Amino acid sequence: MNNILLNNLPLLILNQLLSLLYLSTTFLYGAHFFRDMPLAKKYKQPFLVVTVLTHLTYLGLLTSMEGYKISYSTLNLMTMVGLTLTTTYLFTEFTTKSDKTGFFVISFATGAQLISSILTSQIQNTGMTFSGVGIGVHLVAAIFGFSAIAIAGIYSILYLLLFRQIQHNRFEIFFQRLPNLEILEKLTMHAVSLGFLFLTITIFAGIFEQRASGEAITLWEPKLVTLVIIWLIYGTGIFIKPLIGWDIKHMAYLFIFLFLFITLLIVLMTFFSPTFHGLSF
Amino acid sequence: MNIISVGVNHKTAPIEIRERISLSEVQNKEFITGLISSGLAHEAMVVSTCNRTELYVVPAMHEVSCEYLKDYLISFKDARKEVRPEHFFARFYCGTARHLFEVASAIDSLVLGEGQILGQVKNAYRIAAETQCAGILLTRLCHTAFSVAKKVKTKTKIMEGAVSVSYAAVELAQKIFSNLSLKKVLLIGAGETGELAAKHIFQKNARNIVITNRTLAKAETLAEELGTNQVLPFESFRNHLHEFDIIITAVSTKEYILTEAEMHQSMIKRKLKPVIILDLGLPRNVDPDIAKLQNMFLKDIDALKHIIDKNLEKRSRELPKVNAIIEEELVAFGQWINTLKVRPTIVDLQSKFIEIKEKELERYRYKVSAEELQRMEHLTDRILKKILHHPIKMLKAPIDTTDSIPSRVNLVRNVFDLEEPNQSY
Repeated sequence: MNNILLNNLPLLILNQLLSLLYLSTTFLYGAHFFRDMPLAKKYKQPFLVVTVLTHLTYLGLLTSMEGYKISYSTLNLMTMVGLTLTTTYLFTEFTTKSDKTGFFVISFATGAQLISSILTSQIQNTGMTFSGVGIGVHLVAAIFGFSAIAIAGIYSILYLLLFRQIQHNRFEIFFQRLPNLEILEKLTMHAVSLGFLFLTITIFAGIFEQRASGEAITLWEPKLVTLVIIWLIYGTGIFIKPLIGWDIKHMAYLFIFLFLFITLLIVLMTFFSPTFHGLSF
Repeated sequence: MNIISVGVNHKTAPIEIRERISLSEVQNKEFITGLISSGLAHEAMVVSTCNRTELYVVPAMHEVSCEYLKDYLISFKDARKEVRPEHFFARFYCGTARHLFEVASAIDSLVLGEGQILGQVKNAYRIAAETQCAGILLTRLCHTAFSVAKKVKTKTKIMEGAVSVSYAAVELAQKIFSNLSLKKVLLIGAGETGELAAKHIFQKNARNIVITNRTLAKAETLAEELGTNQVLPFESFRNHLHEFDIIITAVSTKEYILTEAEMHQSMIKRKLKPVIILDLGLPRNVDPDIAKLQNMFLKDIDALKHIIDKNLEKRSRELPKVNAIIEEELVAFGQWINTLKVRPTIVDLQSKFIEIKEKELERYRYKVSAEELQRMEHLTDRILKKILHHPIKMLKAPIDTTDSIPSRVNLVRNVFDLEEPNQSY
């Protein structure tokens, strides 16, 4: 599929504006967390809401060009990751009234959106498009799954930072601003559970769609193999703690490793294996 | 019309001097009523706490100076041998107002931002009001000070964060556990420090508090006081260590009451669930090697002092905001004082015009009907109001560098030929 954005100036401008909004929101959350700026405290949440709404509008307009079909490309994958991360975080902020971890989650979302915006001007072909319930669920669940893995990784990093500050009597900014260890542990474990659920849905929706379409997919395709391995690790991770009492500190290292590994894998595979599970259409 | 404040506080005098000069509530009442009844002051108030004894006085005669008041207080306390005038500070007029605002908002306190001083200032004002020693000036000054303190509390972070060891211990526990009401707490030692820590953690919703002490009766008394009624014999508390998420130790001992081996066993039993041990004892009660255990947070007094230092540092950073609030209120208070100075002139001006109006109307009383007279009265009232509007506005206007209150007052008095005012404060 040709890159719609390159032929549609208003949409291209909206895409670039979205990056600016993400950067501004990240700046405001950072200014509140690190500098405790009253203005940043006041405007950060409205900026986040505007960013999410603009993002939804952008995706709605983008997909409307091709009959609301989802296209499989790094460009779209990254922007969807950005949206799911910010939406998930916004939901958490509204429900828990805790706004202390926003900077870290939104920074990652901003990174994803920036990659998407930069690639927009360089990619001529944005990949194949898909329609249908099965493939839609498969793609959306995969994106939410990755977002959950990212959130689990980010909260694990924050957990370890706070843990170390308390242990070494360095009662500095993370000690003063972050939620307590137990809350960070709960957030991490919830993200892991959600990640496992979405990865499960991704796998089952993929199997269902493959059977329904009759397409031949290589079982040893790297994306599939990695997905199953990660799904197994995450599944085991959920039960490790209650069964053998493995403490959250070691689990945090595992989740950070998985997060970094998967992020690297996605980036590498998108560049070196850009097809959708080896399908040739 | 001046307000003087003199006194000793933690910045001007050592503790033995502060102790010597402090006044009890009874002495406070006796002192301020003495000042008023002897005709030395129009108004008087004393703020007396462990860190300060300060007089706020509206003198009734020029002789009542700062030196006079210092001497008066020293004589009252019969402390001439120990206390000297050099131990006192002295402030006048706006300096007095600023000082009281700083005291009430706790930026003049020994522990920056401490929460008790406002209550103590309110109590001092209550005593002055009850004994009718607080008049219009002190009442306004105190109410402005309370308002400053309230603004400072709500608009700044000067009172945030723990600044005592036992509060810091609780703050640390809250940084590890989200809900203290779900955690089991063991308090080893029911002495003063232990009691304070138990009370603080109880205030933060910890309800499952078990107390152990060498003297069991003491543990039972504290448990009863807290309403938890849970005690453990000192000889057997080690068998239950694995049940507790938070352990607070505050006993006087030369040997460690918790060893690494005991806590290691306890951690295995509780499947490595995090534990925080707050060692408030001096010398330390807990083997420092315990800190090396996995998921174990062991904090002694030195570690907790790090938290206190950080919090005090954070509070200090709020000082510019507090000073801005004080500055703003000080300007408003100064303007109010100025309106007091012009008030007699305004009253005289209004009286003079009303007198003229009434005299002129009297001449027509029997020449026109009652209805017409009423209409004339309304008309003259409206004219007077419009004529007086500008001079009164000019008198009440904030002063600038080219103008002063006496020159304005004199101008109005000369123009309207008003008599010299009585010299009341």
